Amino acid sequence: MTRIFDTELPFPTLAHQALGDAQLRANLAHATTTIRDKRLRVVGELDDWERLRDAGAAIKDYSLDHLDELCVELEKNVVAHGGVVHWARDAAEANHIVVELVQSLGVDSVVKVKSMATAEIELNVALERHGITAYETDLAELIVQLGDDLPSHILVPAIHKNRSQIRQIFLDEMGKSGMPAPDDLTNDPAALAAAARAHLRQRFLSAKVAISGANFVIADTGALVVVESEGNGRMCLTLPETLISVVGIEKVLPNWQSLEVFMQLLPRSSTGERMNPYTSIFTGATPGNGPSNFHLVLIDNGRSSALAEVDGRDVLRCIRCSACLNVCPVYERTGGHSYGNPYPGPIGAVLVPQLRRGQRTPLEDSLPYASSLCGACYEACPVKIDIPKILVRLRSEIVDEKRRSKPHDPELVTMRILEKGFSSARLFQRVVALGGLIGRLPLRTLRFLPPPLNRWSASRDAPLPPTTSFRSWFADTHRDDNLTTATPSTSNDPLVHRHDAVHDATPGHVGIDLAGREGVLSSIATALGNPRRHSSLPAQRDYTVHGSLDASTRRALLKDRLVDYRTNVVECDDAALSATINALLVAHGSSSVATPADIPAAWLDSVQAQVHRDDPVLTVRDLDGIDSSLTGCAVAIAQTGTIILDSGVLQGRRALSLVPDHLIMVIRDEQIVEVVPEGVARLAPDSPQTWISGPSATSDIELERIEGVHGPRTLDVVLVTARHNL
Amino acid sequence: MKVALFITCVNDGLFPNTPRAVVEVLERLGHQVVFPTQQTCCGQMHLNAGYRQEGLHLAQRFREIFNDYDVIVSPSASCVGTVRDLYATSARSIGEDSLADDLDAVGHRTYEFSEFLTDVLKVTDVGASFHHTVAYHPTCHSLRVLGLDDSPKTLLRHVEGLRLVDVDHENECCGFGGMFSIKNAETSVAMGRDKLAHVRATRAEVLCALDNSCLTHIGGLASRAKSGIKLMHLAEILASSREYS
Repeated sequence: MTRIFDTELPFPTLAHQALGDAQLRANLAHATTTIRDKRLRVVGELDDWERLRDAGAAIKDYSLDHLDELCVELEKNVVAHGGVVHWARDAAEANHIVVELVQSLGVDSVVKVKSMATAEIELNVALERHGITAYETDLAELIVQLGDDLPSHILVPAIHKNRSQIRQIFLDEMGKSGMPAPDDLTNDPAALAAAARAHLRQRFLSAKVAISGANFVIADTGALVVVESEGNGRMCLTLPETLISVVGIEKVLPNWQSLEVFMQLLPRSSTGERMNPYTSIFTGATPGNGPSNFHLVLIDNGRSSALAEVDGRDVLRCIRCSACLNVCPVYERTGGHSYGNPYPGPIGAVLVPQLRRGQRTPLEDSLPYASSLCGACYEACPVKIDIPKILVRLRSEIVDEKRRSKPHDPELVTMRILEKGFSSARLFQRVVALGGLIGRLPLRTLRFLPPPLNRWSASRDAPLPPTTSFRSWFADTHRDDNLTTATPSTSNDPLVHRHDAVHDATPGHVGIDLAGREGVLSSIATALGNPRRHSSLPAQRDYTVHGSLDASTRRALLKDRLVDYRTNVVECDDAALSATINALLVAHGSSSVATPADIPAAWLDSVQAQVHRDDPVLTVRDLDGIDSSLTGCAVAIAQTGTIILDSGVLQGRRALSLVPDHLIMVIRDEQIVEVVPEGVARLAPDSPQTWISGPSATSDIELERIEGVHGPRTLDVVLVTARHNL
Repeated sequence: MKVALFITCVNDGLFPNTPRAVVEVLERLGHQVVFPTQQTCCGQMHLNAGYRQEGLHLAQRFREIFNDYDVIVSPSASCVGTVRDLYATSARSIGEDSLADDLDAVGHRTYEFSEFLTDVLKVTDVGASFHHTVAYHPTCHSLRVLGLDDSPKTLLRHVEGLRLVDVDHENECCGFGGMFSIKNAETSVAMGRDKLAHVRATRAEVLCALDNSCLTHIGGLASRAKSGIKLMHLAEILASSREYS
């Protein structure tokens, strides 16, 4: 049975368990420290980082302010490309849609790409209830699923496990649901990743239906963008006949160009990489080059009601990078399970109460207090969500709720008494004077305080109040004119009568009473209000949009960045290309190589390995039996070491560069650009794309990058340049 | 310059030496300090804990007491952060825009003590002398709300005889967090113990900061652990001179 979170326990109770687990705390401290350093390093490389953050926030604000229009535009473009769009108002509707789709296809298992949306709606439980097994394929999700555990991090759900714990789970559990782990499995992360590859390989090659989420969906092209590392995403998005993508409505971006911002913000904030190893981008159904059937399930599930709040709209900017978790001192000590839901950390503490607006469980009421308001999250957030400010507002809502309930909560009563005390200098002085009496006790510190302050003194001493106050010292040493005694007039208080009105206006639930599509769209429209907040896309892109390096420096930068992510790079001129390719194949020990149908014969003249042109089309099984593949590319981005295929000339189908374990990519000088915006501008927005930055890799074991999971484990790049430039 | 002093309720009740040190330093530099006696609490605890209504009453009270002064100085980064940032945000969150503007006006004239020295008076050497090893803890509000990064350390570096040591993970929260220290006491203590361990690793004799509230939390743990480290507000170090140190 898939485990789900219990919302009856409040944060402090859950945290108590975590704080007592020394191993967990050591694992979390190690992982979060690693990722923090990585993030700071790669963010520091960009001098336009702050401008990118501003642009990211502005684009998201625009998208949210126009969410209904953009969702309809997205739908139109997905449908135009052969996809089917479903709308779900809540988790139950979304699960129902997915279960029916899977059942109609007559399969009893699906492969899944890690997705927060499906975790949020507890899709796996719903599938299980209908006899459908969902196999998680992301390494960390696999660890959680095999270990019958709960996720504890947005990016790395198994962050609470270290390598030796992961090894044990693999040894104990893998054999029960597929290929077992090898008996001699070590806790070397590369060996663990290899075990995951072997365990899932046949499942990928034979899967009929895959389920994914998406990081972004682009309204003006209908494209889905899935950002990942290991290649499990590519397997799921490319090989099965049917793909079902479950996506929150807030993931919509207005246009293709927006990606130039988010593809810089997300990887650097998330895994602390210049670019993640793989990104898949495709629109609708892509028969012959991906799934023949594509279903997009757009889910509301509380988003439209969050949209009704100004702060809630800020929360919906979130791109699920998890930078806020990684820098949060509370998260580091309590771990993700203490937050009682799949969205932990600072963003979870603001997102969950917004999505479940109107529900009052002990967990939801405790989440806004699960923060010291230190502000590290706001500082790290790539889309500038002011999480501390929103936490404070959510606390205010909880307090306002307390004001309405009788008898009054003891905390409310205490805080009101304190306010009265602070409202009168005389009363306040009496309390200070009383403290002075305690200060005369023959003690050095106070070790015991009455409730609720005993929660302080259980572990902390309290200082003894002073016997002489500042006020008496100041009065003794200063002339009277330094003392001003003006009394504030509190009688004419504008707040007193206005507050009740404010309470009445406190927005609650936005009702949804229509069906499916119309229901979601009308909820959004209601939430956006009338008149709508006016916002427009930034008129100027004030981050870097053009590089400044000359061609040879640009090539050197690309080479440097490729090598940094363990890509083997060789340079040659046209005359030597075929021999160079052959040498790479020989070095890898390949006896066969797959190529797109349009690879020129000149590339292959010297190749000794058996060449399999993708014409007639190679099956997945064919590709699995071929050692290497060879492609050109559409564009290469030097700054991030990213090579992009957009299914154009010399690039072939997506599966070609995915299934064989060794990939050779040929890049020409004129295909190299310096920065991400230049790369995005060169691509065909609605043709299927694969962005590749290094060999397949994972950061799922202790947040260290390890090369080699489901995609090609070896990546060779040939930079072809004119002879005089060599 | 005539400076109105806001000492904060915590210092009023528990740490009189801190505002006293502020007075001494400012007077040593030739400024006049006035003390509005009606002052109590800025309302930070209420506002941060979600008691907007009560907190805004205290905010208005603060404004009425300090509205006539051009310059208000306080030895607490978190209270200054409240006055400068949280007041207006809280008022705007309930649609009280004109109140927010009024509160903003007083907030813009309110300075944290060390910030007032370095940014307004442009002083980095206040003529202090303190022959001890000192660790500095940048409190969250000083660092991330007021943006006081290096200037407090600059003041410390100019103190005669003072050896300033670096603390590992210095920018990380100590775990105090106001009501957080009570509502999530165990997490708060776990954070504080890690902070204390990093401080103790420096072998500093004194830990100083711009907020006595955070120091009370770290100091409460230090005292319970009998660690022997002394906690001092930065103002008290700056007030130390040859005559009475």
